[in-house]
Amino acid sequence: MRGHGRGSENVFECRGLGLEIPHRGTTRTIVKDLSLDVRRGEFFSIVGASGTGKTSLVRLLGGLMRATCGSLVCHGVTVDGPPPDVVVVFQDYSRALLQWRCVAANVALGLEGRVSAGETERRVTEALQLVGLDGHGRDYPWQLSGGMQQRVQIARALALRPQVLLMDEPFAALDAMTKASLQDEMLRIHDRTGASFVFITHDIEEAIYLGDRVAVLGGPPGQIYTTVPIDLPRPREQVATRQMPTFLAYRAQIHAAIGDARSG
Amino acid sequence: MRARRVNVPGLVVIAGLAAVWEMAVRSGAIEFDYLPAPSAIVGGGWALIASGDLFVEAAHTLYAVWLGWMLAVAIGSGLGLLLGLSSAARTYLQASLELLRPLPAIAFLPVALLIFNFSLTTELVVIVYAATWPVFMNTMGGVMAVASRLHDVARTLRLTRAQAVANIVLPAALPAIVVGCRLSLGLSLVMAIIAEMLGNPHGLGHAIMSELQAMQPERMFAYVIIVGILAIVLNAGLRRVGAYLLRGHPPEVAEHV
Repeated sequence: MRGHGRGSENVFECRGLGLEIPHRGTTRTIVKDLSLDVRRGEFFSIVGASGTGKTSLVRLLGGLMRATCGSLVCHGVTVDGPPPDVVVVFQDYSRALLQWRCVAANVALGLEGRVSAGETERRVTEALQLVGLDGHGRDYPWQLSGGMQQRVQIARALALRPQVLLMDEPFAALDAMTKASLQDEMLRIHDRTGASFVFITHDIEEAIYLGDRVAVLGGPPGQIYTTVPIDLPRPREQVATRQMPTFLAYRAQIHAAIGDARSG
Repeated sequence: MRARRVNVPGLVVIAGLAAVWEMAVRSGAIEFDYLPAPSAIVGGGWALIASGDLFVEAAHTLYAVWLGWMLAVAIGSGLGLLLGLSSAARTYLQASLELLRPLPAIAFLPVALLIFNFSLTTELVVIVYAATWPVFMNTMGGVMAVASRLHDVARTLRLTRAQAVANIVLPAALPAIVVGCRLSLGLSLVMAIIAEMLGNPHGLGHAIMSELQAMQPERMFAYVIIVGILAIVLNAGLRRVGAYLLRGHPPEVAEHV
């Protein structure tokens, strides 16, 4: 399903994006003169140290927050509120799920009143299969492990069949093993759905392992310091890919870039 | 809610206390002209059951409590939802509500009496006035405490405002609302008894006063005990309803309601 002849189009185009918020009588600049493009169908990783405005950038792209200057276009339309076909996946899965609803009802949340009951059921089943949670539809989130809860949140986003998934450090709270298996699931889902992924993380290796391109966010105020195209073969493999000399070279390069972005 | 076993040691203590009371009165260790022994109170209660008076008075009180409480829940949750969701509503209405809230409901009884006479309406005014506040405060607080992350979720999934309120805000605030409703039910019974003692010549509150004036302490105590039993039964019933409404919520939430 990937690269259906429109690969050159951009899903997001930001030009000179800025975000200032009032803070104790003055204004604080969170994001300044940020420009980036996200191409259709690509896995776009954004890596940055804490305090560089990663979460603010997700909120801007997801239409949950309005930029104070610059232009932000999604699918050719200026972003003013959450754009259609774009869904945000948050880091804090347990607060983002409706704890009183079973897994299937959580996944159905965005479909209610939009599609028929039969279609809802089909999509919920499909989304749960995509994240490897078939058979857990009737469980409640509070009965599941952290990794499984995050899968529920991802399934809820996938059920809407979005063209873009915006993920804000989705695996930051998970243990290394769970994280690795979810990374591989993301690659599989990316492959199967053809959706564009914007994946924000503070984990350099994660950004390289997943990404077609890795943007380095410097700051504060948040700004794209450099964007590195990742030329590693797919499908990627947890052990083999991470041992490749090119992988290690990317790691060194991005590590250095983050250091430069901070001091510069 | 988990099924609770009968608390045998607790019941033994209650029976023991009643026995001590019985013996103290019978032996003359304590002597008041109008302090009956438990056995005499049971006799008084039995007489009230046999004559049917008990059911008439209890039915009136229950009806007033039920009606007043329902009105309080409707008004309190409606206002709480409005003020919880709308900062404009808070700006305009919160000052008035904060002004009214500290006024003791019982101070309204003479006003209600003047307007509505000795009637069920007077009783209801007092019940509703007192019982609305807990529902209102808990609903407003519950709605405002809904995690901002859930509002983000509603937006990124592009739910309509009505869907967000019905599917996210209300269920998230439900544990707090249920707590408010339970506080309010207990208060409704208290206010009904007071209103019946002073403002409406019907019901258990009035019956207690009548037996006092008729110098029938056994019957008076029997009525008092019935009020206590009603309070326990109403609370237990509402706990069940609350547990049903909160099924699915994490156990640590559902259990503390």
